[in-house]
Amino acid sequence: MTPPKSQVMRSPRTVDLAVTNRCNLRCTYCSHFSSASEAERDLPIDEWLHFFEELNRCAVMNVTLQGGEPFCRPDLPELIDGIVENRMRFSILSNGTLITDDAAAHLAGTGRCTSVQVSIDGPTPRVHDSFRGTGTFDQAVNGIGHLRDHEIPVAVRVTIHRQNVDHLDEIARFLLEDLGLPSFSTNAASHFGLCREHTEAVQLTVADRTQAMETLVRLKQEYGNRISATAGPLAEAERWAEMERARLEGMDRLPGGGSLTGCGCTTSKIAVRADGVIVPCILISHIELGQIGRTALQDIWTYHPDLNKLRRRQEIPLEQFAFCRGCDYIKFCTGNCPALAYTTLGDVYHPSPDACLRRFIAAGGRLPEVIL
Amino acid sequence: MSKTIKYHVRNPDIVFREEFDDWAILFDPDTGNVFGLNPTGALAWKMLDGTTSVKEIAEAMMRLFSNVPEEAPAEIMQFIDELVERGYVGQDVTTP
Repeated sequence: MTPPKSQVMRSPRTVDLAVTNRCNLRCTYCSHFSSASEAERDLPIDEWLHFFEELNRCAVMNVTLQGGEPFCRPDLPELIDGIVENRMRFSILSNGTLITDDAAAHLAGTGRCTSVQVSIDGPTPRVHDSFRGTGTFDQAVNGIGHLRDHEIPVAVRVTIHRQNVDHLDEIARFLLEDLGLPSFSTNAASHFGLCREHTEAVQLTVADRTQAMETLVRLKQEYGNRISATAGPLAEAERWAEMERARLEGMDRLPGGGSLTGCGCTTSKIAVRADGVIVPCILISHIELGQIGRTALQDIWTYHPDLNKLRRRQEIPLEQFAFCRGCDYIKFCTGNCPALAYTTLGDVYHPSPDACLRRFIAAGGRLPEVIL
Repeated sequence: MSKTIKYHVRNPDIVFREEFDDWAILFDPDTGNVFGLNPTGALAWKMLDGTTSVKEIAEAMMRLFSNVPEEAPAEIMQFIDELVERGYVGQDVTTP
């Protein structure tokens, strides 16, 4: 498989690293457990440290540490020191509950921590803990406090689900006013991992999504764009409104519209599972590209046929899918996330049904009028 | 006593990334700042090894690129000065 026509960087800029399979929590909608990213073992630190040297040679700029829960690794400080020694910056995705003052001090001392993302799903323990476990709200808020004491940028992520969709105003007030965070981002519990086993209890209905869109668009305006999203109801509202406006105005096409361009990650990013298997994305962990220490990352990046095939996904026209035929939005749609398509249909080379505007409207969904 | 800056050398803490075609960036991991390089800038960076003079860099450019202007050495010096100011390049200062 030859590389695609689009511009692929000579080496990845960013690498997502699932540094551990372990987690102290079992959140009901966790995307990790019960998915292909759930590995059987954690890679020993020596192998990670060797890999960081390889990332240095590939001129990788950033790594994002995730899991599982990265702070479950007792040797996390040594891992971070290895990242720093190899000229990279790092971010961490965490549930926040294990972040101590000492841990935050170490992160700050490196001068290389771009941000720590902490999940907060409610304005109170009752809402937050509903799917994350008793006591986790207080622990996560404490963790945020330690990070802020050491002036580490905190990126709070709110995962929207059935139990907190009615509390979005209070969540925004808590995060932006009471805690005084500069911003936060949102997504939604998606059909990955453990969530697949709890769909009815967790995932938003069409009515919930409509409500979440209206609320988040309003809150974003009220708080001066301090709320953002790359997935979930707010991102969908903004993208779908753009598509609806394009349709109403009779536009020929939106940039990227009409084919599976919804994911550009494979031109600049790659990922590694906790067991050291290199994959295109943590959410597409079933496509195994090689093993760190055995296959050169640069060779995988440049030549691996499965990776180059995935990069060519964006050349696949939506017209070829029965799912899309006759759709008024086909010239404006990008098919969205391949991982969502895979987890729903078992096929990354298909538009994501969950991100289909036509389907959403047919099921009774509405876009917020304020942004149309 | 006058000092002459003879050679320049890359700061080894700065990451040089070739991205698309012959374009590149310099990345400072301590600040997160990124500095873009066009193909001639990328070539100059590669030659800042502490043993190659500005004159030699200009000569290499004339060999490898077409339509290099006469003022190229002065422009290269200006480019290097900017890198020095950013801390991306060090100077080998010799005293005659």
